[in-house]
Amino acid sequence: MRDFKYFRPRTLKEALSILTQERAKVLAGGTDLLVKMKDGLLRPESVMDISFLEELKFIREEEGMVTIGALATHSMLERSPIINTKAPHLAEASRSIGSPQIRNVATIGGNIVNASPAGDSLPPLYTLEAELLLESEKGSRIVAIEEFFTGPGQSIIEPHELLTAIRFKAPRGELLTFFQKLGQRKALAISKVSVAFLATCAADKKFLRKVRIALGAVAPTVIRAREVESFLENGSINEEMVDLAAKLCSEEARPISDIRSTLVYRKKVTGELLKRGLSQFIEGVIS
Amino acid sequence: MKKYRVVGQDVEKVDGRALVTGQPVFTDDFSLPGMLYGKILRSPYAHALIKEINASEAEKLKGVEAVFTYKNVPRKAYTTAGQGYPEPSPYDSFIFDKKVRFVGDRVAAVFAESLSIAEEALSLIKVEYEELPAILDPEDALKDGAPVIHDEPEIQGAHDPSRNIVSHVDLEIGDVDQALRDSDFVVEGIWETQYAQHCPMEAHIAIAYLDERGKLVIRSSTQVPFHARRILSFLLGIPISKIRVIKPRIGGGFGAKQEVLIEDLVALATLKTKRPARLELTREEEFVSSRTMHPMKVKVRLGADKEGMLKAIEMDILSNTGAYGAHGPTVFFNAGSKTLPLYNKAENVRFTGNVVYTNLPVAGAYRGYGATEGYFALECAIDELARKMGIDPLILRQKNHIRPGETSPIFKKLGEGREGVPQTVESCGLEECIENGRELFEWEKKRSLPREVAPGIYRGYGMAIMMQGSAIPLVDMASATIKMNEDGSFLLLVGATDLGTGSDTILAQIACEEIGIPVKNITVYSSDTDFTPFDKGAYASSTTYLSGEAVRKAARKVKEQILTVAHILLGASGDLVIEDGLVKEVGTGKTLTLEEIGLRSFYMADQRQIQATASHVSEVSPPPFAAHFVEVEVDTRTGKITPILYVAAVDCGVAVNPQLTRGQIIGSIVNGLGFALSEGLVFNTRGMPLNPNFLDYKVLSSLDIPEIEVILVETHEPSGPFGAKSVAEICINGPLPAVANAVYDALGIQLKKAPFTAESVLRLLGKI
Repeated sequence: MRDFKYFRPRTLKEALSILTQERAKVLAGGTDLLVKMKDGLLRPESVMDISFLEELKFIREEEGMVTIGALATHSMLERSPIINTKAPHLAEASRSIGSPQIRNVATIGGNIVNASPAGDSLPPLYTLEAELLLESEKGSRIVAIEEFFTGPGQSIIEPHELLTAIRFKAPRGELLTFFQKLGQRKALAISKVSVAFLATCAADKKFLRKVRIALGAVAPTVIRAREVESFLENGSINEEMVDLAAKLCSEEARPISDIRSTLVYRKKVTGELLKRGLSQFIEGVIS
Repeated sequence: MKKYRVVGQDVEKVDGRALVTGQPVFTDDFSLPGMLYGKILRSPYAHALIKEINASEAEKLKGVEAVFTYKNVPRKAYTTAGQGYPEPSPYDSFIFDKKVRFVGDRVAAVFAESLSIAEEALSLIKVEYEELPAILDPEDALKDGAPVIHDEPEIQGAHDPSRNIVSHVDLEIGDVDQALRDSDFVVEGIWETQYAQHCPMEAHIAIAYLDERGKLVIRSSTQVPFHARRILSFLLGIPISKIRVIKPRIGGGFGAKQEVLIEDLVALATLKTKRPARLELTREEEFVSSRTMHPMKVKVRLGADKEGMLKAIEMDILSNTGAYGAHGPTVFFNAGSKTLPLYNKAENVRFTGNVVYTNLPVAGAYRGYGATEGYFALECAIDELARKMGIDPLILRQKNHIRPGETSPIFKKLGEGREGVPQTVESCGLEECIENGRELFEWEKKRSLPREVAPGIYRGYGMAIMMQGSAIPLVDMASATIKMNEDGSFLLLVGATDLGTGSDTILAQIACEEIGIPVKNITVYSSDTDFTPFDKGAYASSTTYLSGEAVRKAARKVKEQILTVAHILLGASGDLVIEDGLVKEVGTGKTLTLEEIGLRSFYMADQRQIQATASHVSEVSPPPFAAHFVEVEVDTRTGKITPILYVAAVDCGVAVNPQLTRGQIIGSIVNGLGFALSEGLVFNTRGMPLNPNFLDYKVLSSLDIPEIEVILVETHEPSGPFGAKSVAEICINGPLPAVANAVYDALGIQLKKAPFTAESVLRLLGKI
């Protein structure tokens, strides 16, 4: 690793000012950035370490809106009562990331800005239709998560901007959620495929209402499985529906072959993961 | 069986406290003023000629003290394999060559004031390559018109370098073809293993310096300090008397460090600059440029009669040794010699095959040493034969495996790249291993259960049996020195190489058992070529068995010396024993402390140092035996295989330290499960490894490991110290065939290519 300038702002304001002047790479948990720097894939002139900005380490709910500070770690998410009740699949996804040591330092903001289609916190956030708050010295803007990513490792964030918070409307009513992923082993494994599912259901628990499904690692960015969503919406869950949904889901996946898996496998298993997740509801809440 | 006081006890590891309290015990915990840091420039091509190499810019860089290329180092063919002399591996390597033979091959080395300067200097070396056609598939190596990887005139010891053949065997006992024709049942198949790496926690590292006498001292993470010294002396043309190799605590080796891979470069740097020099491989270099397991294609044919008696075994192997032939011939021979005698009822046996060069990473010694690849094929074929005959594979094995007092002609025919040594198996607890394992695993009960346990989820039950050896007979030598201090404490000096295996503790237990003292009264030193006696090093499952016997012999001599003094001091004529550090006269109850004996010997009468050295060579290599049973769960929707329960019943003779023995067994099973489920280097079409890191090369995590039950089936091996054999390698042979057999039992699919990925399961199920 070669030499670089190191900044450690004490406030968000200071951080934004440094970003304007320095085009620094942002260090939060460091679990992606340092690996890339060590391997020589990134050789930044300057690095801004924001890990001391306490003001970005929070998870709160106000008036039905859940807001997560960009520096909330995966450990915070997996343990948060708010996340565990309002978005249990996000808690589940956070729990599946890396190892305890990694989850203690890796942040949700870092997971988003790293922009990997295999980032495990992303599919649940897609199903929550989360919004991202990007701040800079000049002002701030709010971007829908689906608009944020443009390709593997690529997003619309400008070098002078900092992702400071993630927010979503807490889903109301009866919730059905799951996060399913497959890796090459049980821990410390990058997902070959992941599926996040969020549905609200009617008060009589007979029918699914809103359905949101997002797929990880099967396209250049995380994608929504909209065909499957509309297929399942306003329907009930039974074996036949689940089989058809799985088939549709495999068709919506647009994966590639790489070091971790193959195109055909990923396509097939995307549907199977949806099926595995949905099957638990067949004799569950919905009857 | 005789009751021992120290042997058979779970003695605390003698180095355990130092390790857990973070004492500076490893090679890199040692830094010298003015030390230079080395880096190696690696080939980006699988096969190329270096047309021109210009290092002048690198040499000019401030802080660079030495740059080495083929232009300024001695050119001498040698082998990096740390084996006994003369080595059975071909002399086909050079410190640097004009030709590079795999992606990651050595091109140049830089030594500088810091690592970053060394790295920068590498980028300043200008190399012009002429790319040559490469062999990236071992099948292509033998084809007419294939590129010749080793066309250098100096090459020695390879079977036919012009055809890329390192070693070739065509061995037949009896008449295999006739026996197969006469057999009522015949099965055949080809099983294939992958490029797997040892992944020791500590990468290869060496630090060299000159001592006050001008002697070259090398502190190295090596399994073979004495072989390293001999090879360096040959390579660099300096006398053995001018080289000292120190092996400090090692962070794992598994065979990767039975090689001389970096010592030559730190030696060159120190000799040139007179300054200390350090070189450590990165994890990526560890994967690509150190050593790997030999990927093999093993074809097996079996023939049996109606009663289920094996009539013929044929094993034909294509072994890929990569760009250089280190351990190539011996690993190949072991694939047969450590497997075929297990089924000695078959009178007709054929072992054939080739070891070939390819332009891929260099294979070397890896725990199991060929037997792992051989057993994958043999034990899967046995299961297939049992299915064909419609009998329980456990019973088929029982009918055919070797028993105590029996032999196999293979022992004599296949040795270390040449003929072996005949032997009769004295201790063999295989029958009990199968029986005890079967009972604990509930083999018949489990196999009668429905395989589908939930929709799409299947369970399967598989097994495998295996053997290994204990040291290389009539080749390997070990020795030990024991000295007594005047307070009755002892020093044990061994060349044997504890690399995390626990051998320092085991050897201390053996010495203490023989003398009659507690382990706390002895200090073990290993290994230093100037201060400890010769030992061939840690490989071939030999330290407990071979070095242990040398230690026992030395301890016996020391004990005799002690008792001679005790007889005089006690005025005793009767029998004397030493128990817990006290000499006792049998019958009278008279006692004497070892301190009294030590003080007398040092300062009072018949003055002398009580000490002894003993050496040991074994005429036999008694095999340990094991039976493994595994229960797996397969999700037919995702193809994922999850091992649920693993039972290993193992006969390693007397377990000197049962806890360390279990550690070796569990460690090697986990290692083998990695081969079965996830590990493997992947290459692109230019021979470049795509996953040389722990992110993409998946060693199993603790969450992936099933419950492992170990049963120690103790036998008494008459040729081993206190009845001990070996246990370091044997159990790595089980997981590949046991898991494959269990998956067949679950789903009826034959996994013949490791690792058994989820993708391959779905492919075999016809789902993708």
